[in-house]
Amino acid sequence: MSSPAVQIRSRGSRVASAAVEKARLSVVPRARTRAPKVPFVTLVSLLLVGGVVGLVLFNTSMQQASFAATSLEEQATNLAAREQTLQMELEDLRNPQRVAAEAQAMGMVVPRAPTFLGLDGRVLGEKMPALPEDTLNLTPAPPIKPKILAPTPTIVKVMAEPAPAGKKKKAQGTQGRKRR
Amino acid sequence: MSSTATRKAASRPQDARRGAPAFRLRFGLIVIAMVLSFFGARLVQLQGIDPNSYAEMAAAESVETRILPAERGDILDRNGLPLADSVRGKMVVADPVMTADDAPELATLLSQRLDVDYFEALARLREGGSQFEYIARRVPSTIATDLVAELAEAGYEGITLRDDPIRSYPADDVGANLLGFIGTDEPLYGFERTFDRQLSGTDGTARFTVGGGNRIPLGENTLVPPKNGAPLTTTVDMDLQWFTQRVLAQTLQQYKALSGVAIVMDSRTGEVMALADAPTFDANKALESEKDDLGSRAISDAYEPGSVEKVLTAAALIDAGKVTPRTKLRIPPSLPRQDRVIGDWFDHGNIKLTMAGVIAKSSNIGTVLAADAFTPLELVGYLQKFGLGQRTDMGLPGESAGILTPGDVMTSQTKDRVAFGQSVSVNAVQMAAAVNTIANGGVRISPSIIKGSATTEDGTVVGTDVATETRVVSEQAARQTARMMERVVDPEAGVAPGAQVPGYLVAGKTGTAQRVSPTCGCYDGSTTVSFGGFAPADDPRFTVYVVVHKPQVDGGGGSIAGPAFSRIMGYALSRYRVPPTDGKPSRLPVEW
Repeated sequence: MSSPAVQIRSRGSRVASAAVEKARLSVVPRARTRAPKVPFVTLVSLLLVGGVVGLVLFNTSMQQASFAATSLEEQATNLAAREQTLQMELEDLRNPQRVAAEAQAMGMVVPRAPTFLGLDGRVLGEKMPALPEDTLNLTPAPPIKPKILAPTPTIVKVMAEPAPAGKKKKAQGTQGRKRR
Repeated sequence: MSSTATRKAASRPQDARRGAPAFRLRFGLIVIAMVLSFFGARLVQLQGIDPNSYAEMAAAESVETRILPAERGDILDRNGLPLADSVRGKMVVADPVMTADDAPELATLLSQRLDVDYFEALARLREGGSQFEYIARRVPSTIATDLVAELAEAGYEGITLRDDPIRSYPADDVGANLLGFIGTDEPLYGFERTFDRQLSGTDGTARFTVGGGNRIPLGENTLVPPKNGAPLTTTVDMDLQWFTQRVLAQTLQQYKALSGVAIVMDSRTGEVMALADAPTFDANKALESEKDDLGSRAISDAYEPGSVEKVLTAAALIDAGKVTPRTKLRIPPSLPRQDRVIGDWFDHGNIKLTMAGVIAKSSNIGTVLAADAFTPLELVGYLQKFGLGQRTDMGLPGESAGILTPGDVMTSQTKDRVAFGQSVSVNAVQMAAAVNTIANGGVRISPSIIKGSATTEDGTVVGTDVATETRVVSEQAARQTARMMERVVDPEAGVAPGAQVPGYLVAGKTGTAQRVSPTCGCYDGSTTVSFGGFAPADDPRFTVYVVVHKPQVDGGGGSIAGPAFSRIMGYALSRYRVPPTDGKPSRLPVEW
């Protein structure tokens, strides 16, 4: 403490010394503001927990949606397949061949020519009875099959008379066929 | 306290080395550098050398790529009914590595549920060295998924399904020769082949990450949607087509004929409403039929039309002012011309026929005499305008243009024969369109079978939108020719009373021509009989043309093709509610 400054100061007026005493620098005490910790911690942990839980929930719901999408897609495919099956059934029922066969079974015949009844009572066209002769043959000849499916039958003619001695049966058979 | 001190003192020399910060730092750096350089090398290996194969390996673990097959466009009739449609189907595929052990049980089940052979299935399930074997193709989706569910329940593995659309032809053989069919992998014949580009569409793909059978929501997910094929609408009427086919088949059966064609055409628009070929085939079982029957003979077969062609000659002569229906002709029993004698189908002495009589009785000699007014060039000019010798290009593959000798090189002998329908060959559609020219008041409409327009495989645009009209003969010439044709079906004057449709005015013409044998290139004694005509004659709505090749029972165009014409025409008129007209029947004299 025996610094020259102090010595100079001590030589000064008492007032000044008092003022200096007053003005003496000292470390400012640390301001200890005691902000309440609890709300902040709560907020942060709430945000954290909320975020994590939200993320998990969001993910779960996405997964759930994915499951639902998959099962709905499957359902849609099944329904589409079913619709097509029904459509096919409908087309089968609509097949002119089937309709005609059923009509013919009921005794109906396609007329040779139509007759028209006008609104004035006039009949246009020649009145023709529908005759059984007019019945259309509904079963067309089966389509001709290709050779590979309907090969020409191999016909082997067997000779009736016994084979002469000294000649083999097989040889005679081919000879007989050749002659034909 | 003292013991620790001594221990510290004892270990001091070691600690000094270990504790040296510089050494520790260097050692740590080397370790870290080594580890990092391993990482770096691995990184270069993964990313630099062959990144794709690793990416694929990773993707194979979880990313699934699925081909989304485009649905093939339907082929529709003029009323929108499907003649050919596509149904979702599956192919059943086996992985023999997994199925070999349970092969007999699986084969039993498969042969019961699907239409497959037990032994064939067994062999495929046991195929060595393969992981992919077809068991069945084109199985309806519902059946296939049921089967796989059943197999999974029973605990079998190795049978999977893949998309494999089915082409179905709901009316079996109706229009089969026009439609063609789908072979194992590609379209064959008919519209299926010609318009494949329009019908087939483009497949799409879906790529997504899968976990436990479900898509992972945030994983890879790309979708290229398939472009479905566009439908093709034809001008064919399914019911009329069916009726025409049945009548034609019945005629063929009755007269034991080789083959036949019947065409119904809308007279006003040139739309082909029915085109029947016989023998035909079932498009759903196409491969069980003879190959020759799969195409359309109406388009691919060229034949000599015979006397039906006389109406074209007659119309041309009237148009050129060379004859009228009342022109008087003296018909000798036979007509010697340069290289051969021309005769008639019926024996007669010297008779006197009018031009109408020549048509009604179908006299070759009369036609040749009348056609003497024409040079070959003039006659061929008219026939070309009628469309002979040129392809119709309707959109059916394999068309034959027929043969019409050009006028400038035609000899007068050939011209004589061409005048009554010999030495000229046509396809059935050409001839129907030519007869339709008379029905349509002398204007030829190019025939069409596609509604709207469509592009064929060789890039030609065809269809009703691009149909062309050309005047061939004057309206009056066409009317007069139609009047003459009415006499053909007259029970007294004509040769084809069987072609009459009760209550209607019918105009038509018979044809009986010798057939050229394809093997010898000569006339082989068999005939082609035909009948072409239209009704109602004074306001034509339909043109019907029936051709029967090589009937084995005696008869001509009037007796064989005539009744078929009558039935088809009667049905068409009834189906489209065309009432009989009030017109007076033709009273043109046939003799003088």
